[in-house]
Amino acid sequence: MSFTENILCTKSHEFVLKGEPAIVGLTDYAIEQLGDIVFLELPEVGDEFAKGDTFANIESVKAASEIYMPVSGKIVEVNTALIDAPEALNEDCYENGWLVKIEATNEADYEDLMTYADYKEELE
Amino acid sequence: MVKETYLHDKHVALGAKMIDFGGWHMPVQYSSIIEEHKTVRENVGLFDVSHMGEVFVSGKDAEAFLNKIVPQDITKLDYEKAVYCQLPKEDGGLIDDLIIYKLGIEKYLVICNASRVDEDINWISRNQRGFDVFVDNQSHNYSLLAIQGPKAIDVVRKMGYDIEDQKSFTIKPATIEGIKLLASRTGYTGEDGFELLVENKYAEFLWDKVLEKGAEFGIKPIGLGARDTLRLEAALHLYGNDLDEETTSIEAGLSWSIPKDKVADYNGKEVIMNQVANGGNKKLIGLVMLDRNIARHGYDVYFNGEKTGVITSGCVSPTTGKNIALAYVKNDKEICTGATVQVMIREKLHDAEVVKRPFVQKRNKV
Repeated sequence: MSFTENILCTKSHEFVLKGEPAIVGLTDYAIEQLGDIVFLELPEVGDEFAKGDTFANIESVKAASEIYMPVSGKIVEVNTALIDAPEALNEDCYENGWLVKIEATNEADYEDLMTYADYKEELE
Repeated sequence: MVKETYLHDKHVALGAKMIDFGGWHMPVQYSSIIEEHKTVRENVGLFDVSHMGEVFVSGKDAEAFLNKIVPQDITKLDYEKAVYCQLPKEDGGLIDDLIIYKLGIEKYLVICNASRVDEDINWISRNQRGFDVFVDNQSHNYSLLAIQGPKAIDVVRKMGYDIEDQKSFTIKPATIEGIKLLASRTGYTGEDGFELLVENKYAEFLWDKVLEKGAEFGIKPIGLGARDTLRLEAALHLYGNDLDEETTSIEAGLSWSIPKDKVADYNGKEVIMNQVANGGNKKLIGLVMLDRNIARHGYDVYFNGEKTGVITSGCVSPTTGKNIALAYVKNDKEICTGATVQVMIREKLHDAEVVKRPFVQKRNKV
């Protein structure tokens, strides 16, 4: 089963994989658009964010971008390996390239998110 | 309306990511900026820079006229030679930066920035009164292909061009692959290289030929993304970022390009000569970030707790892996090579060291 089958996506190109904890990251389309990733700033375990808050920053050679929370929640795990090797995101932004794991606090936050298939369609 | 070069379809066919750049639909990258950057530093790359402006200046007073509008001494420019110039206003602020080539007696070629062609032409016509010159903007009729990198010379040789006596910063009429063109040994990457100026109708044929003949040397098409990181490593200014109408040549660190003994008067001479002696209001510095953060265009720069200036260009240097930037700061003696300043990035101050420019030394002196 492919990772993208169960993820939900935002219009700003984040994904969340429901679960306990939920897994949050950037879609392959986002990474592709950014190009060579050279910098990643992630939050700390215990930080809390509301849906839509900036929780991380990413930079490619070209540009700097903010990453927004797809759902409200508390950070329970951070993919710290990526901070030293953000270029790994260009290879895989899902299985090994997720950004944070969270304890989601509001089930209703998922309602306006798109399935990966719908998200892809929206991009066309 | 967004303009397209005559090579637009080639870029799309090669799978380039296209962006709007100064009113032109241009390739920003074909594969990856870092890969393309390294291709140019290690082997050779091909750029479409047809968006740049080509203006021919001819007539009895062509030399005197150009000499009036740039601080450089055009009377000392020999036939088939090129010189890097600026186009200052009376107050020294820059309309554009240019390369002027002497093509013959009373005939010059001016290559200018794509985004500034209209302003340049406007400025030139305002200064033209009293001079017997013919200014011919041919930007729409010519394509410009840049072949850049340590193996650029191998590629043009392979294409049958005898470069034996063509030195850096010279231009010659040449016939390459049966096409009559102007071949100039210049570029904007900090590497050796050539720029081929051809009529639009030959652009696609020449583009394909360069890629075909360059294949054995590892040539690849290079987008504007890598063009920017290459020029920034070489600390070459980008108009609109590092140069503008509020910045003088001296403030921009271009004093080296300005003759101090030029007799003739020129626009901005008084301000420029005064700044040669006393310095400008601000100065350009090179920075290397001391942590992983990247300084970008527009970020504020602090020194001793006070705001002193702004970043005008910044990126990660693919060659050194360091995060480099150009900034304008107050003309303060204490902000010198080795000093530490701070850059405000996402509401936090990050240390950066002032370093000598360029950030990467040219390895292939011609």
